[in-house]
Amino acid sequence: MNGFETIIYEKNGPVARITLNRPQVLNIYNVRMRDELFEALGSVKQDNEVRVLLMTGAGEKAFCAGADLSEFLSAPSPTIARFVRWRRDIWGLFLSLPQPVIAALHGYVFGSGIEMAMCCDIRVAADNCIFGLPEVSLGIIPAAGATQTVPRVIGPGRTLDMFLTGRRVGAEEALQMGLVNRVVPRAGLLPAAEALTEKIAGFDQKAVRIIKQAVIRGIELPLEEGLKLERRLVA
Amino acid sequence: MKDQIVIKRPIPGLVWLTIKGTGRDNTVHDGLAAELETVCSGINLDTDVRAVIISGPEGKPFCKTADTSKKKPSPSLAGPVAGLCCPVIAALNGNLSGRALELALACDIRVASRTARFSFPGITKGTIPTDGGTQRLPRLVGKAKALELLLTGEAVDAAEALRIGLVNRLVKKADLYTVVLEMGKEMAAKATLSLQYCKEAVLKGLDMTLEQGLRLEGDLYYLLHTTEDRTEGIIAFREKRNPVFKGK
Repeated sequence: MNGFETIIYEKNGPVARITLNRPQVLNIYNVRMRDELFEALGSVKQDNEVRVLLMTGAGEKAFCAGADLSEFLSAPSPTIARFVRWRRDIWGLFLSLPQPVIAALHGYVFGSGIEMAMCCDIRVAADNCIFGLPEVSLGIIPAAGATQTVPRVIGPGRTLDMFLTGRRVGAEEALQMGLVNRVVPRAGLLPAAEALTEKIAGFDQKAVRIIKQAVIRGIELPLEEGLKLERRLVA
Repeated sequence: MKDQIVIKRPIPGLVWLTIKGTGRDNTVHDGLAAELETVCSGINLDTDVRAVIISGPEGKPFCKTADTSKKKPSPSLAGPVAGLCCPVIAALNGNLSGRALELALACDIRVASRTARFSFPGITKGTIPTDGGTQRLPRLVGKAKALELLLTGEAVDAAEALRIGLVNRLVKKADLYTVVLEMGKEMAAKATLSLQYCKEAVLKGLDMTLEQGLRLEGDLYYLLHTTEDRTEGIIAFREKRNPVFKGK
């Protein structure tokens, strides 16, 4: 699992950690990062030793400031780009992980940065976080799942306010909206995220995975079906 | 009974609809439904429109719907507005009660004055909302708060409305129209189809499973690859200048 250029993958007992590692460009997401994440997440998914995954960003300034726009006009054609999107379904893979994923967020969390954070299950934010989705100002829309993941967490009203205006939101407002779960001082971010990760890693692994499945699959179902799913998973 | 909507275009791309009723409460009559239907269909056919603002006359309440005790539901006010493809900003002032609140819930972003109040008093008279209130309210504020409002008929003030997500932003009453105009101008500077597809992906996607929603998002995204505005947006960003979108 070594030899990655844009991310660092580490495994420490039951805890895996992926660090977005392009700090010189605010950890922006590019095709290389997509391919490396695809490989790392694929291995996490198969690895029963991994009980919890922690996602974080290297450097002082940003978790991830968005996507690398210099690659945006080089796609061969919309139909081929669409084909590749589903051929290498990075976001589907991310959302399908059986383990809980904790995001430790700091600094700029823009565009793809928010979208990656929303593929995680619990978001811990440093008090210096700034969130924003600038896509509509660029003539595009978020396309790493945010139009679906964000409203499912904060509701359609708050989502449209962020997406359609492109306005920036600080850590406290993000907490108030429910976009993040906890806000901690910048210096305490990694200790807080690691403590949370280790706490969950210490619980019965089967129970932890069942809870995640029951919640994220159940919310897509009518209540009656969700209740049946809960019983079936526990049985 | 006619002409309860005043249409203005403060700048190209932005349409401002003012609901002009009568009296201090800005009371409107059922004719508003047909008028909204006509106006909104027109807006959907007009490719120059990028965003819409809906408000009452400056300084007045958003609107109050005439109390009809008829057995059958009144014609829908929320429906035509919910059918708009472009983003809709509501500027909310005064008491928003019953169908007026249902109309506001059909908009995308709600900006309210600090003195605005919100309620569904139908239950106290033995009726329930029939213009989308029982569906749009829980989708916005969650089941528990929605049931509290609908089952008690009690009003929430602006601060509580902000806290629960019923409105997006609060401003001083005197600043309300300046703030929404500013917001509308910013939106009108963005790419027409990005705004519309973003709204569609969020709202239609919520009625689907996550997996289906992700497919919708992807398809709309790749459809945008065919627009001139996408190329302009990305080139402008790289050249560190403001993009000039054409709606194409």
